[in-house]
Amino acid sequence: MPYRWLPPEGDTGCRRLEIRPHRSLGPRGFVTMIGLTLALASVPLLAVLGSVILWVLLPFMAAAIGGLWWALSRNTRDRLAQRETLCLTRQQITLTHASPRHGTRSWSANPYWVRVRLAPTGGPVPDYLTLAGGDREVELGACLSAPERRALAQDLREALAGLR
Amino acid sequence: MADAAIHGHDHHDERSFFTRWFMSTNHKDIGILYLFVAGAVGFIAVLFTVYMRLELMNPGVQYMCLEGARFIADASAECTPNGHLWNVLITYHGVLMMFFVVIPALFGGFGNYLMPLQIGAPDMAFPRMNNLSFWMFVAGTSLGVASLLTPGGDGQLGSGVGWVLYPPLSTSEGGMSMDLAIFAVHMSGASSILGAINMITTFLNMRAPGMTLHKVPLFSWSIFVTAWMILLALPVLAGAITMLLTDRNFGTTFFSPSGGGDPVLYQHILWFFGHPEVYIIIVPGFGIISHVISTFSRKPIFGYLPMVYAMVAIGALGFIVWAHHMYTVGMSLTQQSYFMLATMVIAVPTGIKIFSWIATMWGGSVEFRTPMLWAFGFLFLFTVGGVTGIVLSQAAIDRAYHDTYYVVAHFHYVMSLGAVFAIFAGVYFYMPKLSGRMFPEWAGNLHFAAMFIGSNLTFFPQHFLGRQGMPRRYIDYPEAFAYWNHLSSIGAFIAFGSFVFFIVLLFYTLLAGRKVDVNNPWNEYADTLEWTLPCPPPEHTFEQLPKQSDWDHGHSH
Repeated sequence: MPYRWLPPEGDTGCRRLEIRPHRSLGPRGFVTMIGLTLALASVPLLAVLGSVILWVLLPFMAAAIGGLWWALSRNTRDRLAQRETLCLTRQQITLTHASPRHGTRSWSANPYWVRVRLAPTGGPVPDYLTLAGGDREVELGACLSAPERRALAQDLREALAGLR
Repeated sequence: MADAAIHGHDHHDERSFFTRWFMSTNHKDIGILYLFVAGAVGFIAVLFTVYMRLELMNPGVQYMCLEGARFIADASAECTPNGHLWNVLITYHGVLMMFFVVIPALFGGFGNYLMPLQIGAPDMAFPRMNNLSFWMFVAGTSLGVASLLTPGGDGQLGSGVGWVLYPPLSTSEGGMSMDLAIFAVHMSGASSILGAINMITTFLNMRAPGMTLHKVPLFSWSIFVTAWMILLALPVLAGAITMLLTDRNFGTTFFSPSGGGDPVLYQHILWFFGHPEVYIIIVPGFGIISHVISTFSRKPIFGYLPMVYAMVAIGALGFIVWAHHMYTVGMSLTQQSYFMLATMVIAVPTGIKIFSWIATMWGGSVEFRTPMLWAFGFLFLFTVGGVTGIVLSQAAIDRAYHDTYYVVAHFHYVMSLGAVFAIFAGVYFYMPKLSGRMFPEWAGNLHFAAMFIGSNLTFFPQHFLGRQGMPRRYIDYPEAFAYWNHLSSIGAFIAFGSFVFFIVLLFYTLLAGRKVDVNNPWNEYADTLEWTLPCPPPEHTFEQLPKQSDWDHGHSH
């Protein structure tokens, strides 16, 4: 799911929106992939069980499977870390962006004055979605597809109108 | 979080030549680098074959003399046969072709360039690791060539042990050439494993929204299956050659009976890697051929899902049939029966693929453009190689054919006439996409005709030689084998001529070919995502996820 409204958290009473990049491998897929690889890797290893050859093959096999494990989880982590979360209350709107390279950055403003802007052309991406308010204008949902940004803009406008 | 940037920035490619080609992290540039380096190494490996066929053209040794290698026969001068030179040539032809030409071209080249495009990913999952893979492949190639030129066995340069590096020959071969060859294979293996991990992660985690595993284009599937096989097979090879290295240098006796080791064990481990290796070579070819045949038959591929699972089945079966390469080492009857039956089972998924390709053409509007000619050639010749494979799979018959030219003919039909024809089908199919220029159709047809005639003339007579009992890996042969050897050599020269012609054609096209100004120069059945991009594609592609309607045409699945 590219973006979704989360249930309110604790007593902050804030409506939370989460946007995250598309990824096609779920946790179940990860387990299946590693499991199948392990099963297949055991074919040559079982054949040399009890011989000293095992101890020469094992490190290479372990390195390959470890490498696969690392690569899949690192890629997933990097993608999840690009998550944007929006916390919406009557008093304040807060956008938090956690990126693996640049750390966590956030922006907040008074929701009454926040404008949702959708630039069909002219932005770095089609249907470029930005929030203007507070001291600067920030982008939102750059990792979404254009139709998703259009839908999100509509959602946000309705949510902001509901708070006024 | 990023501040808004209402005024978009255009991507101008501002990289210098050095930055673009030597420090590249762009999957498209790395793919092209792989293709060119593999092509250059392929040319070296082909030169070896030309020299070998020159020597085998007539009985007696005329060219590879201990007095000095010659290019022009001189009956008046003394010539002592130089068996070491011959052994070195067969070894490096095999090593280069297996590790440094076909896999880098199909998996590294086409896989890198096309797989991320077909699944709508902006790049590989780990672009800098991709760069590392490529340069490790170059380093491996350099080590391989260095091994050819350093002191080896028999007081001469290079190692003459065959590409399989069987001990005790490989452990007793003198000089450091053999060690360098082992390092070369190690390097290439590490490069392939890193590449495979990268490909698997990209394929699994970066597919466009909506592209389930059962909707991925067949070429991307073939790259995934290949990557998986590399990941499982190459560590076994790495272990095997590490033991060779310690046997040679540190006094271990893994493969030496004097210390309780077993040389036949090396053969088991080597072929546990070696048999998947031949499928690693051919499976990406299957992917390319599927797209070419579908495009030029103007029909969606017949039986998409069976095609996918046939590739998976071929990959899985490839791991449990290794000992059919070594029926003659003294296995028990039960073992031989198992390996014989398991091997024959592979004909089932392979048959599914062959018949699905034929069914794709059935009732289609077949158009014999150059890529389709190569695909047609692949289909016919790979089937011939597959059928001789079934013959060889029988343990009893293999007693007669083992280590004869019949085996040479068989594996060159599946590799040289299978994988290489698939590479050329891919090269012509994607040349307009990769270069933005179209090759002259007549030249592509001529290349195909010359290569088809040349390579068949080379290898078909080798079936007869094998049946007559001519053993492989010898520099000379008795008078009785002269006729077919002569024809085979003429075929090799024709095939070499066609390769030289291709190089000229390639550079003509790259420098002066007609510019392609449409996204898809073929027809609407070339319907995967790469054909929605300009020719050549810009530096950055699919920074925005593609829409499902761009690639999901329903009928293909």
